[in-house]
Amino acid sequence: MTIRILLVDDHPIVRQGLKTLLEGHSDWEVVGEASDGAEAVEKAKDLHPDVMVLDVTMPRMNGLEACRVLRRQAPGLEILFVTQHDSPQMMREALDAGARGYVVKSNAARDLLAAVEAVSQHRVFTALHGRTVPELT
Amino acid sequence: MKLRILLADDHEIVRRGLRALLEKHEGWEVCGEASDGREAVEKALQLNPDVIIVDVGMPNLNGLDTTRQLLQHDPHFKVIVLTITDSDQVIREALDAGARGFVLKSDAARDLVSAVEALQNKRMFFTPRVNDLVLAGFLEKGQTVSRNETPKLPTLTAREREITQLLAEGNSSKEVASLLNLSTKTVETHRSNIMRKLSFHSIRDLVVYAIKNNLIQIELPPPKAPAGPTAA
Repeated sequence: MTIRILLVDDHPIVRQGLKTLLEGHSDWEVVGEASDGAEAVEKAKDLHPDVMVLDVTMPRMNGLEACRVLRRQAPGLEILFVTQHDSPQMMREALDAGARGYVVKSNAARDLLAAVEAVSQHRVFTALHGRTVPELT
Repeated sequence: MKLRILLADDHEIVRRGLRALLEKHEGWEVCGEASDGREAVEKALQLNPDVIIVDVGMPNLNGLDTTRQLLQHDPHFKVIVLTITDSDQVIREALDAGARGFVLKSDAARDLVSAVEALQNKRMFFTPRVNDLVLAGFLEKGQTVSRNETPKLPTLTAREREITQLLAEGNSSKEVASLLNLSTKTVETHRSNIMRKLSFHSIRDLVVYAIKNNLIQIELPPPKAPAGPTAA
């Protein structure tokens, strides 16, 4: 089944890197991109993605706020954070905001595909630096 | 013949993005990648690339010191510095180190191709903010009284800067010695020279110095937002 993904990060270069990684998977489609939380909320209304890959630190509206808004606006959407913050506190905050997955940017090349796979099946996937915790809830 | 580019950034995802961007350009190839400054210097010497793109905030050896080392090895290396910050100090250090290009990471999708093209044509490329700074410096020259001049700090040697970064990143003298293939005793001598030159008494002072002088960079979480959309 095709998984429709919306990519959200304020750095176009990072989006490009994530996109090349995700598009290596034949059944997955990056249906859109956004550069901040507010744009992500808007685009999610039109594009109805299955999974949103979301950065934390962004201008205008950060990822955590966007996540809280999207939880109410699009309950079926699964949210996966890809962030530079290698911190259990931030991970907890992300899960509390309603995300299903949390991956550290420096390990995205290693963890992202498994994380998208898991959250698209409504399973939790969290991985801090060097440590994968597939079923932490 | 293809233009060969070496990419140095500690994030694989960023290297992938840069590679995708650069390889869209006909006649360019990314001939190698490095995930820290030391690897960048090694690979540059092996691969002899036409252009080297170096991130400022890298572990083990930061991008500014990498640029210095590269140009000490071979003054013909053409280096583009990629940075998340356009602070005056980072710009000055990049220029001093001998970079021929200076591109902000946030503008890389727009500016990096232009920067590589400029270097390919034996020109330089700097983000507009650098041009302003260079011009301001030029206009200030010739004035008898210099304003806001910062007191000069004692200068550390390249090796001392390298060791300062590694110590500030939390390595012990023994670990630094092993990373740099030196004896622990030599590292300890460098360490006490650094502390004496800077009049520091603790490793904490050294960490603060390393952050202030862009030897290392720290990540800050987004500010807590009580309600409503705010800048992160």
